[in-house]
Amino acid sequence: MVTIIVNGVQREIQSAADTPLLYVLRNDLGLSSPQFGCGLAQCGSCSVLLEGKEIRSCITPVSAAAGKAVVTLEGLPARWAQQKGLSKTDAEKTLHPVQQAWIEEQTPLCGFCQNGMMIKATELLEHSATPSLEEIKAAFTTSGPSPHLCRCGSYKAIIEAVQRAGTIMAERS
Amino acid sequence: MAIPNEKPVDIFGASLFSAKLTRRQLVKTGGALLVGFEIAGAAVPKKAVKGKSSKNSLDPTLSSSWIEIHPDNTILIRTGKSDFGQGTTFTAYRQIVAEELNARFEDITTVVMGDTDRTPDGSGAFDFLGRGTPNVRKAAAYTYQALLELASQKLGVPKDQVSAKDGVVSGGGKSSSYGELVKGQQLKLTIPVMGDLTSIIGLTVTGEPPMKPVSQYTIIGKPYKNSVITSKVTAREQWATDVRLPNMLHARMVHPKTLGSKLISAGEPDKSKFPNAQVVVKGNLVGVVAPTEWEAIRAAQQVAAATKWTDWKGLPGDANLFQHLRQADWKTTRVAKSDKSRGDAPSAMTGAVKKLSASYEFSFMKHAPIGPTMALADVQADGSVHIYTHNQNPQALRGEIAQMLGASIDNIVVRTFAGPGHYGRSNGGNAGAEDEAVILSKALGKPVRVQWMRPDDFQWSTQSPAALADVEIGLDANGKMVAYQVDHYMPAGQDDRPVGALLAGLPTMPAPSENGVFIGSTVNEIADPWLYDGVSVLMERGHGTFQVGQKASPLAIGLRDHSMRTPGQFQQNYPRELAISEAAALAGADAIQFRIDHATEERAIGVLKAVRDASDWETRPSPASSAVSTGDQAVRGRGVSLMFRSGTYWACVCEIAVTPGTGVIKVEKSTIAVDPGIVVNPLQLTRQVEGGAVMGVSHALLEEAKFDESAITSRDWRTYPILKMADIPEIKVVLLNRPEVGAYGGGSEAANALAAPAIAAALHDATGKIARRLPLKPDYVQALLKA
Repeated sequence: MVTIIVNGVQREIQSAADTPLLYVLRNDLGLSSPQFGCGLAQCGSCSVLLEGKEIRSCITPVSAAAGKAVVTLEGLPARWAQQKGLSKTDAEKTLHPVQQAWIEEQTPLCGFCQNGMMIKATELLEHSATPSLEEIKAAFTTSGPSPHLCRCGSYKAIIEAVQRAGTIMAERS
Repeated sequence: MAIPNEKPVDIFGASLFSAKLTRRQLVKTGGALLVGFEIAGAAVPKKAVKGKSSKNSLDPTLSSSWIEIHPDNTILIRTGKSDFGQGTTFTAYRQIVAEELNARFEDITTVVMGDTDRTPDGSGAFDFLGRGTPNVRKAAAYTYQALLELASQKLGVPKDQVSAKDGVVSGGGKSSSYGELVKGQQLKLTIPVMGDLTSIIGLTVTGEPPMKPVSQYTIIGKPYKNSVITSKVTAREQWATDVRLPNMLHARMVHPKTLGSKLISAGEPDKSKFPNAQVVVKGNLVGVVAPTEWEAIRAAQQVAAATKWTDWKGLPGDANLFQHLRQADWKTTRVAKSDKSRGDAPSAMTGAVKKLSASYEFSFMKHAPIGPTMALADVQADGSVHIYTHNQNPQALRGEIAQMLGASIDNIVVRTFAGPGHYGRSNGGNAGAEDEAVILSKALGKPVRVQWMRPDDFQWSTQSPAALADVEIGLDANGKMVAYQVDHYMPAGQDDRPVGALLAGLPTMPAPSENGVFIGSTVNEIADPWLYDGVSVLMERGHGTFQVGQKASPLAIGLRDHSMRTPGQFQQNYPRELAISEAAALAGADAIQFRIDHATEERAIGVLKAVRDASDWETRPSPASSAVSTGDQAVRGRGVSLMFRSGTYWACVCEIAVTPGTGVIKVEKSTIAVDPGIVVNPLQLTRQVEGGAVMGVSHALLEEAKFDESAITSRDWRTYPILKMADIPEIKVVLLNRPEVGAYGGGSEAANALAAPAIAAALHDATGKIARRLPLKPDYVQALLKA
C-alpha cells in the first residue's frame, strides 16, 4: 500500500502500485481536475505538482509519489493561503492568483487542458514572479516532457493570464 | 395533456404572432414554476414537430420549456445546443434573453443545456446566434408579450401603457416585479415550432413576435464574463469524464487492425494478471471491461495483442491522395453550381489578356480534441438507456442510438456535460464512443464507461475531408478580373454513422451517397459565398464523390469524413482566396486594393479596409521587391484573405518569416477584422477569434492526417502535431460593431480558415513562389522553393 500526501492530507492508496497517479486521483480520491488527454505525457492535461514540480500524472505510477506531496488544482487555494499565511477565514474566500487571473482574463475556451496550464503557471510563478514573454512561452513549450497543448488555441489568453497572475501575486505580497 | 376548465385568453393570438396564451388560476405556494404555458393546438403545425409527444422530452411548443420565470425573480433558460467552449449559451444567450425580456443579465441564474430530457429544441453546436434570431430570442420575445399582458391585467392599465425595465413592469403609477407578476397563477403560452427534433438542425421557433429594437439595447454589446469559466478554473465543474455510476465498469476498445479488417478471433485476458477483466465481442466490435480503469487498460492491451484480424489494403496512402482523388468517381454525384454563377466562362477566359490557371490541394485533417472521446451508458433491463457524455448534438445521438437498438427514442436520455471541444465532430450526433458504451452496457447489464485512448481517437474518428480545386481567372488589359471559374472536388463531408454500430453490424443511417439528402449526400455544395460581384462572369461548380476507401472496406469504413469548424467553406475559401491573391500579383496590383476593387458589398470592403489599417499594410504588389527563394536568412512577406460566414464578414492579414534553406515558416503576426453586425459580447468574441486564429495557423502549417494503405497512421501528438505556444503569432483582433445591420452573426467559426490562404499568399510575397498545397510543412516548402 502506498501513502501519498494530496493537497495536504495523507492518503493511503489501495490501488496497485503501478497504477498511474492520474487514475488514483480521479477514481480513488475523487479529484477530477487532472484530465486524461493522451496517457503519453504529450499534452499536459493531467498535470499536478509533485513536491512543487509539474509532472504528468498519466505516466507517473502512484508508487513514484510515495511519501511525497501532490497538489492538484483543487489544492491551489490552500497552497496560496499557506504560502501567504492567510487566516482560515481569509483562506476560505481566496482563490489562488492563477485561478483568479484565469477568470479575469476569461482564458479557457473548452477548458479541458487548462488544469495543466494552471499547474504549469503555478510552478513557473513560484520560481519567477515576473516572467518575460519568452520565459512564459518556454515554460509552456519546452520545460516539461512535452509542450502543454491547447487545441482551442487559447495560448494568447494563457500568456495574458500568467502575466496578470504575476501582478496579482505582487499586489498581494 | 389538456387541463380542464381553462379558457383561452386572447392576448395576441395566432393571427398576429402565431402564438397563443391561455390561463388558469393556480394555487401554488412556494413552487418554483409559476409561469407555464399551454398548448394551443391550432397555432402549431403538429406534424412538423417530431418527438414532441416523446417521453423524456420537453414540449417545445410550451414557452416554459424554454424560459422559466420564478417568483424570486430569477430566470432559467434552456437550450438544446451544447456549448463546448464558445461560451455563447452562458453569455450571449443570457444577454439576448435578458434584452428581450427587459430583465437584468444577472437575473438569468440558470442555463440548462443539451440534456435531451431537459431542453426543448435539439440541434448541433454551430450557428449559435442563428444570424440574429436564435430560438431563445424568439422564445423570450413571446414570453415578454405574455408578461406585458399579465402586467396590464394586474396593474389595470392597457397593455400599450405598460413598460418594463430590469425585470420590473410599470404602468399607471404602479409597478410589479416579474416574480410578483407570475406568483400564484400559471400561464400557458403556446409558441409555434417547426422541424425535426433529432435532425442535425433540430427544431426552430417560428412566427414573428415583436422584438426589441436594436437602438434600445442595453445588455447586448457588453463584455459579460462566462460563469462556467469560474467553475472550470476552480475545479467545480462536472465534466463528462467525472461521471460515475454504481457498479460501473471501465471499458477500453480493441479496434480492428485496419479500417477494413474483420475479426478472426478475439484474445482472452490472462486471468492470472487480470482476474476481473472480461471481453465482449459483437461482430467486429471488441471491448474489454474491468471494475477498475487501470485493469481495463492493461487487459485491453493484452487482449489486443492476442486478437487476430484479417488484413486489408484499400486506401491510397497519403502520398498518393491527390492522384487518387483525381481519378475518383465524380460522375455519379450531381454537380452543384452556386446561385451567383453567371455568364459564359470559357468565352470570357478566351478573351482575357492574362490568365491564371491553377490547382490547389487540401489534406485530410483531424478534429483532434485534446481529450479523446468518452461516454458512459446505462442500459437497463426495461430497455431504458441513459447516456452521459460530451456531445454536440444530444438529440441526434438519441435518434442514432434508437435506430441502432431498434428502440423508440422514448427510451433514450442523453445527458451532456463539459468536455473537450471537438469542433463539429459530434454535431451530427456522435463522436465515437457513445454507441460502443451502449452496446457494451446492454451486453453486460451494467453501466459501462468507454474511454477512447489517444490512438483510438486519431485512428477511429472521422476527419475533415481532403479537397482539390481547379481555378481559372481571366484578367483584362487593365488588370481587372473579368471571369472567375472554379471546380471544387471533395468527398462526402459528413458521415454520422456511429462507428461502433458499424463494427457490431447493427443498424445505422446509410453511408453518404448520391441519393442521400442534405448532409447525407455526396453532393459538394458551394459553401463559400462569392464576395467579388464586380466580376461579371462567374462559374463555381462543386463535384462530390464517395468517401475514400469506404466502398472497398469490408466494414464499410474507410476514411470517414465529418464537418469540422468552417466545414466545406474552408476547403473552398482557401483556393479562392489564394487564387485571388495570385491574380492580384498577375495584375501587378496590391492584394487588398485588388479585392476592394472587385467587391461590391460595403461590409466586405469595410473589413478589408479595417484589416489594412490595423496591420499597417503597405500598399504594393506581391511579391515584395526583396523576395528571395534561397538562402538561410529569413525573408518576410504578408498575405490577406476574406470570408463571409454565418452573417459575419472576416478579413485576415498574416505576416510571416520563412527561411528558404529549411522551409520553416514562422507566422509573426495575425490581424483579423470581424464584422458580425451587432457585437453581442466583445470579450467572448475576441477570445473566440484569437483561438480560431491559432488553430488556423496550426491547420495551415502542420496539420495532415497521415495514412497508409490500411489505416490512419497519425496516432498521437507526435504523429499529428498541433501548434505549440512558442509558435503562436502576435494576434490582433479588430471588432467592427455595426448596430445598423440589425442582426448578430456568428463568431466561433471562420477564424480557423482565414490563416491558410493568407499565409500561402505571404509565402509568395516573401519568396515569389506559390505553394498550392496544405499543410505548408518545412519539407514541402523547402522542396518548392528549391524547384
